Amino acid sequence: MAGTEHVEVEETLKRIEAHKGVIGTIIVDAEGIPIRTTLDNSTTVLYARLLRRLTMNARSTVRDIDPQNDLTFLRIRSKKHEILVAPENDYLLIVIQNPCE
Amino acid sequence: MFVCLLKVSICKHACPFFPPPLVGDIRTLQWDTDPSVLQLQADSEHGRRMQRLGASKITQVDFLPKEVVSYCKETQTPLTAHLSEEEEEEDEEMMEAKSGPESEQQDEDDNRENKEVLRELTEEERQQILHSSEFQSFFECSIRVMERALAEDSNIFFDYGGRELEDKEGDLGSGSSLSFSRLFYDEHWSKHRVITCLDWSLQYPELLVASYNNNEDAPHEPDGVALVWNIKFKKATPEYIFHCQSPVVSVGFIVLWDNRSHRRTPVQRTPLSAAAHTHPVYCVNVVGTQNANNLITVSTDGRMCSWSLDMLSQPQETMELVYNKSKPVAVTGMAFPTGDVNNYVVGSEEGTVYTASRHGSKAGICEMFEGHQGPVTGISCHSAVGTVDFSHLFITSSFDWTVKLWSTKHNKPLYSFEDNADYVYDVMWSPVHPAIFAAVDGMGRLDLWNLNNDTEVPTASVTIEGASALNRVRWSSGGKEVAVGDSEGRVWIYDTGEVQIHWREAQLSWWPSRWVHGNEKSHQ
Repeated sequence: MAGTEHVEVEETLKRIEAHKGVIGTIIVDAEGIPIRTTLDNSTTVLYARLLRRLTMNARSTVRDIDPQNDLTFLRIRSKKHEILVAPENDYLLIVIQNPCE
Repeated sequence: MFVCLLKVSICKHACPFFPPPLVGDIRTLQWDTDPSVLQLQADSEHGRRMQRLGASKITQVDFLPKEVVSYCKETQTPLTAHLSEEEEEEDEEMMEAKSGPESEQQDEDDNRENKEVLRELTEEERQQILHSSEFQSFFECSIRVMERALAEDSNIFFDYGGRELEDKEGDLGSGSSLSFSRLFYDEHWSKHRVITCLDWSLQYPELLVASYNNNEDAPHEPDGVALVWNIKFKKATPEYIFHCQSPVVSVGFIVLWDNRSHRRTPVQRTPLSAAAHTHPVYCVNVVGTQNANNLITVSTDGRMCSWSLDMLSQPQETMELVYNKSKPVAVTGMAFPTGDVNNYVVGSEEGTVYTASRHGSKAGICEMFEGHQGPVTGISCHSAVGTVDFSHLFITSSFDWTVKLWSTKHNKPLYSFEDNADYVYDVMWSPVHPAIFAAVDGMGRLDLWNLNNDTEVPTASVTIEGASALNRVRWSSGGKEVAVGDSEGRVWIYDTGEVQIHWREAQLSWWPSRWVHGNEKSHQ
């Protein structure tokens, strides 16, 4: 994986947020505290809490089936939105997108 | 939840059934006079009047929901938003408490979590987290995956029913088409930089590396940039970004970037020494097999160096390319015929083409081919594998507005393609189709020539909207796409409309009439 010495987090996140259909972006740290978000506080906390729990569940499911496996990406498609969760190192990157029909 | 007493009634047309005989207080039921039903005659002996059944009055009883008494400690927070949220939490808790003791534990955790969440991170803490290496590695990884996932907008619920899929026209190899596929451009790194070289990865055919010259408008930015683009995914940002201190004119080469390390700067680079190159290196080729390969580089002062990828501190061998032992050749392009690691062809600034070999008794420049009236900009050896061996053919492009077809066996061009009205900057044979090559010129034109079709005009030609001069053209290894680099830092990907299935039957059926011999006519 090629390197980026100083990841321009803000810039990169802005690019993601400007992507077609993206409603919001949340980064949650290892303790479940949202570090950065584009949504309002209550929604952010709600998403952070629920998705963290779900991600942990998903991860333990994957691991229970095969202990050498691990969760790499979680994608929840609902009628209204799509929630994409990228877990890594106990952090979570959550993006909520309106899939185009 | 409430319970209601249902009205109970006994139908008189009940199924036949004998009530157990009762001693003493005997009640008998009088059945209907339906002959299909067994009749129980009233026991006249007892003469008891039977009980008549009738509707009874219903008493409806409502049980109110069981109230779960719960206690919760509220924290004193100034924001009302938080309070309303806590109420939500309580509701949830109540409902979940019923589902079992397990969730209770979780809820407590959540409650605790929630209380923690309400603690806002100070700016300091936030910055600390953002700069921690853990966060950096998380972000790098996940942002890449996320961008790809976002860009894939394939609708898995789409219903194709009722709509016919367009018929894909089978290309029988007699013609080809060019259709625009993608444009790669990075606002930061591509702007104001001329694309100097393109190369497709052999290992991952969807990866394309493009090298960029310096950005004159931004002298503080690194002079040389190489970007790796991915055509497989729809995301429009480069996969990897590499910097170099000097302008990059040829890619994948003198300076070695290691994709595995986390740095953007070159891992190894050859020193600027008299033993190696002192002039710009315009040509780089990797020859040989995957296991035993060499990096061959030629600079504009005529020096050719052969490197081993393990040791870049000095070349394995060097050679001065001199014609007739006097004139060094100012090499602008170099190409190896397929499968050959020793003999190659070079194009020069004077417009002459030379054949040369690396080893052997005739090491060095062998023959001179004259024909072009301007510097040779691109040279490409025939590469499609077929029944007939065309590896002695190569094409060159030049500032003299032409593309010429040569054979290593003749030192005059076999044919000259003269449809361009500007410098032709690059040319390349298709890796799969023996009769097709692509050329780009300074007017923004991308031409696809199919020699089986027409040799006077290109079979397909497209003037790229918004492009100035097109500097480089490279076919992907599958022969289905061409990547074109322009002078403004843009990489254009065009699909060539060749149906893969037919290339095997494709042959080079045309041969320049001047050189037709009896036995060479049978190509079909």
